Amino acid sequence: MLAQQLLNGLFLGAVYALFAVGYTLVFGVLDILNLAHAAIFTAAAFAAFSLAGMGVPLVLAFLIAAVMAGIMGILLDRVAFAPLRARNAGTLVPLISSIGVAIIIGAVLRGIYGVDERHFTVGGLDTAPVIHAGPVTFTTVELTIFLAAIVLMLVLSWVLRATPLGRRIRAVAEDRVAAALLGVNLELTIAATFFIASSLGGAAGVLTALRYNSITLDMGGPIELKGLAVIILGGMGSVTGAVIGGFILGAVETLAIAYGLSEWRDAILFGVMFVLLVLRPTGLFGKRALRAA
Amino acid sequence: MNRFTVSALALVALAALVAPSSAAPRGPAAGKHVHVGVIADVTGAAGVYGTPQKNAYELANEDVKSGKIDAGGADLVFDVQDAATDGAQVVNLMQKFTTDGQTPIVLGPTLSGEAFKAFPIAKNANFPVMGTSTTAEGVTAIGPTVYRDSLAESQVIPTTVKRTHDKWHYKTAAIIYGDDNAFTKTDGDIFARELKAAGVDVVDTETFHIKDTDFQPALTRIESKHPDVIAIGALFPEATKIIQQAGKLGIKTHMIGGNGLNAPDMYSVAGPAAQGTVVGAAWYSGAKYPSNVEFVKHYTAKYGKGPDQFAAQSYAAAQIVAALVKGGATNKDEMLSALKNVRSIQTVLGPIGFDSNRDAKSSPVILSIVKGGFTYFH
Repeated sequence: MLAQQLLNGLFLGAVYALFAVGYTLVFGVLDILNLAHAAIFTAAAFAAFSLAGMGVPLVLAFLIAAVMAGIMGILLDRVAFAPLRARNAGTLVPLISSIGVAIIIGAVLRGIYGVDERHFTVGGLDTAPVIHAGPVTFTTVELTIFLAAIVLMLVLSWVLRATPLGRRIRAVAEDRVAAALLGVNLELTIAATFFIASSLGGAAGVLTALRYNSITLDMGGPIELKGLAVIILGGMGSVTGAVIGGFILGAVETLAIAYGLSEWRDAILFGVMFVLLVLRPTGLFGKRALRAA
Repeated sequence: MNRFTVSALALVALAALVAPSSAAPRGPAAGKHVHVGVIADVTGAAGVYGTPQKNAYELANEDVKSGKIDAGGADLVFDVQDAATDGAQVVNLMQKFTTDGQTPIVLGPTLSGEAFKAFPIAKNANFPVMGTSTTAEGVTAIGPTVYRDSLAESQVIPTTVKRTHDKWHYKTAAIIYGDDNAFTKTDGDIFARELKAAGVDVVDTETFHIKDTDFQPALTRIESKHPDVIAIGALFPEATKIIQQAGKLGIKTHMIGGNGLNAPDMYSVAGPAAQGTVVGAAWYSGAKYPSNVEFVKHYTAKYGKGPDQFAAQSYAAAQIVAALVKGGATNKDEMLSALKNVRSIQTVLGPIGFDSNRDAKSSPVILSIVKGGFTYFH
C-alpha cells in the first residue's frame, strides 16, 4: 500500500509543482502575487476541452491551450499589472487587480460553458490502459501527465539557466532598474515571464483536467490555495523551491490519508508548512533564489 | 341574425378555441396573482445543483400558463432568485421574501447549510418554507413552518443498507464521505449508524472535502482493509470521481450511495466502474407516473438534457404549491394551514404527503446504475 500511496503522491505533486512554478516565477520577477493564475489554469482546461471537441488531437489541444494561456498571461499583465507598474502602485493594488481579472475570466467562462462539469469525450481517458507494476497500479494517462510536467519543468530550468532570455529574466528579478540601465528591455522581459508562467499554469490546468477527466468552473480553487502553500514552502520566487515544495505537498497530502488521517489532511498539510517556516523562515530555498536558478 | 351578432359569436368561438386554459377548472384563487419566492444557487459553487432547479421552475411557469399544472385559474408565478452559493445572499433573499407582503411561501434554498441559516428567519416570521434539496438531518426541526418535499438521507439510506444487505449479506464495509458539507456529512453519519445496526463491521472511514479531485490515496487505504462494500456519501462531482478512480485502482467491491448519486449521467461520467453501484434516491427518471413521463420529456426537449433529482424535486414543489393555491391558499397564513392539511398530492415524485415532522412522506426508490442510466435494484 505504501508504494502505491507514494506513487499517488508523486503524480499529485508533479501537477502542484507545475502550477506553483508559474506562480513563483511572476513573484520572483515582479514581487507580486498573481491571483489570476488559477483562473488561467481553468481557462486553459476549457480551451483544451473545446479544441478536443472540435476533433483536434489531445496532444495538439494541450499545446495550443498552453500557448493560449501564455497569451492570456501577457494580456493579463497589460491590463492588470503594467498600468499599475508604470505608476509604482506597490504590491497590494496589483494583487487586488489580479483578483478582479480572475473574477472576469470566471464570469466569461461561465457565460460560455455554463455551470455543468465538462468531460473529454475523446481518447477514453477514464478507461485508459491500466499498468500493473509490482505493488503499484497506474494508467498511461497518469504516466504521460507526470512525464509532461517533469519535461516542462526541465525546459523552464534550462531556459532560465542557459538562454539569453533566461539571463534577462534573472537580471530583472535581481534588480529591475539596474537591468534596464544595462539595456534589458524591461516590458518585453516581463511579457516573456508572464507568457512562460501562464503557459505553465495553463499546462497544469489541462493536465489536471485530463487526469480526472473533469473540467469545472471552480477547479482552480483548491490548487490556488495549495499553490500558495507550495511557493511559501519552497521560498517565494524560487523555482527549484516550488518544484520541491509541490512534491512535498503531494506526498504529505497522500501520506496523511494513507495513515488514516483524512479528516486532518489539510490541517496536517499547513501544519507541516508552519513547522518548516519556523525552522526556515524564508522557505526551503530562501527568497530570491531565482537569481541563481 | 345581423352581421354584428355573427362576428361576436365567431369571436367567442375563437376565444374558446385559442384559450383552453380558460376552460380549466377554476377555484377560489381564480384570477388572483400569486407570487412564490424561490431561492436557488444558480451561480457559484453549487450552480450545478441550482441551475436544474431554476430550469424546473421555468418549466413550471410555462406549465401553469398552459394548464398542464392546475393552479385553479390563479396567475401563479415562481420567481427564481439566485443566491450565488453565498450564505449572506440566501439570508438577504429570505428576509426580502418574508417581508415583502406579497409572497405566500418560499421554496429553497439549494443547500442544507444555507437552510440552517435562512429557515430560522422564516420560523421567526411564522412564514412557510419548503426545502426541495436540503436533505440533511435537522432541517425540518428548525421550526413548525419548515417543510420539505425531498426525502431526507435518513429516510433513504436505511432502506438502501437494508436492501443491499439482504441481497449481498456483507460483513464488512468502508465509508467514504465529505465532512465539510451538511449533506455528505449526514450521509457518512447515517451510513455508519445503519451499517452498525445491520451487524456490519465498518473497517475504515475516509473523509474528503467538496471540490477534491484525487481520491486515490483514500481508496488505496480502503482497498488495503478489504471491505465487502464501500458506502459513498458524496455529491455528483466527487461521487463520479470516487467510482471512476476505484475502477482504475482495480477495486471490484460493491458500492452503495444516497441521493447525491442520482444523476442522469452517472454512468457516462464515471464510466464502466459505475455498473452495478446501488443508489438510494427519492426519484427515478424512468418512473411511470403520468406527470413524470411528461416532465422528463418536456424538460429534455427544452434544455437538451434530462432532468436530475434536483429538477424533479423542484418541479414537484411547484406542483404541491399549485395544488394548495388551487385550494384557495394565496397568502402565508392560508398556505400554512393548507400545508398542515395536505393528505396526498400527485407529483413527479409520486403521491406525496407530509409526516408529523413535516418531512416528505413517500418511499425511496433503490436503483442500480447501468449503462445509459438506472434500473430498479432487485
